[in-house]
Amino acid sequence: MSSAPSSASFEQLALPLLPSLYSHAFWLSRNHAEAEDLVQETISKALRAFDSFQTGTNFKAWIFRILRNTFLTSRTGIAASRTVFLEDLPDALDTTDTSPSPEDHLIRLCNQAAVNEALDRLQAPLREVLLLCDVEELKYKDIALVLDVPIGTVMSRISRARRTLHQLLQSQLGKSL
Amino acid sequence: MTQTTNATGHPAPDQLSAYIDGELSSGEANEVQQHLADCHTCALRALSTTQLKKATAGAAQRFAASPEALGRLAAQLRPQEPKKGARIYPFRSIAWAALAASLVLGLSLFGWRQVHQANALSAELLDQHLATLSSGASPEVISTDRHTVKPWFQGKLPFSFNLPDPLPPDTTLKGGDLTYLDGQPAALLLFTIHKHEVSVFLTQRSGGPRVTTMPSVRSGFTMHRATTQDLHIIAVSDVNPADLDALVSALVQAQSLH
Repeated sequence: MSSAPSSASFEQLALPLLPSLYSHAFWLSRNHAEAEDLVQETISKALRAFDSFQTGTNFKAWIFRILRNTFLTSRTGIAASRTVFLEDLPDALDTTDTSPSPEDHLIRLCNQAAVNEALDRLQAPLREVLLLCDVEELKYKDIALVLDVPIGTVMSRISRARRTLHQLLQSQLGKSL
Repeated sequence: MTQTTNATGHPAPDQLSAYIDGELSSGEANEVQQHLADCHTCALRALSTTQLKKATAGAAQRFAASPEALGRLAAQLRPQEPKKGARIYPFRSIAWAALAASLVLGLSLFGWRQVHQANALSAELLDQHLATLSSGASPEVISTDRHTVKPWFQGKLPFSFNLPDPLPPDTTLKGGDLTYLDGQPAALLLFTIHKHEVSVFLTQRSGGPRVTTMPSVRSGFTMHRATTQDLHIIAVSDVNPADLDALVSALVQAQSLH
């Protein structure tokens, strides 16, 4: 890995990521003004630390990690971190196949509003990992870098996030019927 | 990621999820793929997970930044370019910038002083002229005779002046008064031109206002300014500028006649 990238390339690398950074910042903070502040702070931190960025590594993962750390030290982030998240513990129900199998889930997935609602109700850490994977299309190793967790944790967390999302959709389906 | 199936013989949820995300090694992926070909339940699960992945991506994109917000953020990326220049010649750039800044500041202050003084003076002139127009005000010396008006100022002013003879057509001397302009003693001469009131202020050049520029029109009143060897002459009136100019010219010419 070569180091010391040209400082001129920062703009070229960061500019296409602004919409993604903003959208992710909004999901973290759930507030438009705060999302913009978070991205602004992220840009200024990234600009200062750009010399430490290793060319050849994933810039998107690098700057998303800065965004996440910026969020965690923000007021909203500190408040959110007080919520205990019982993740990564062995899932008692995981021994049997509890994932949804029936076709009704497929029907339900076509309903975008239902998915929106389920995504809103998903626990923040599960939603975060799912967004990094499905929306930002980061690889597991890059998600591990952003979240600062082992790659195995990323894998189990994504799987858990999808199962929880399924369950939420299932309960919504039950209510609507 | 070594074992792709759990105790039940089906791929574990983690494995299936990783398979959908393209995160399994080719060997593991082949194993899962073979299982899906034979297992209807797992094939449905895989399809469901794929659809959920797609739906999540769609749902998450509903919170997009406004074009204004994106513009502000993009603008934040740009200021790095001048910094690069500054890095190459830090001292020279800073020195030139400082010099340029001090020049701009100096010129601005000079300009501001000039404009400020000019505005203050023109306001003062206008105020005094308007005061002479009010009905209750009358000059200290009321005379149309220049031989009466001029001597009246003697001993009251640290300078002397001449009055033109004859005056321009349809121009009448009404009288004179002692006043102060910009903190300096001044002779105020009152004329009428075609029944328009005219105030003429005479001040000593050495101690008089040192304003180089002054608005020629203020609130509809014309201000004409002239300088002789010893005096500043400023005339204020609402008469047409050509007639006012004729009076000022006559006054200037009168100063050179001794």
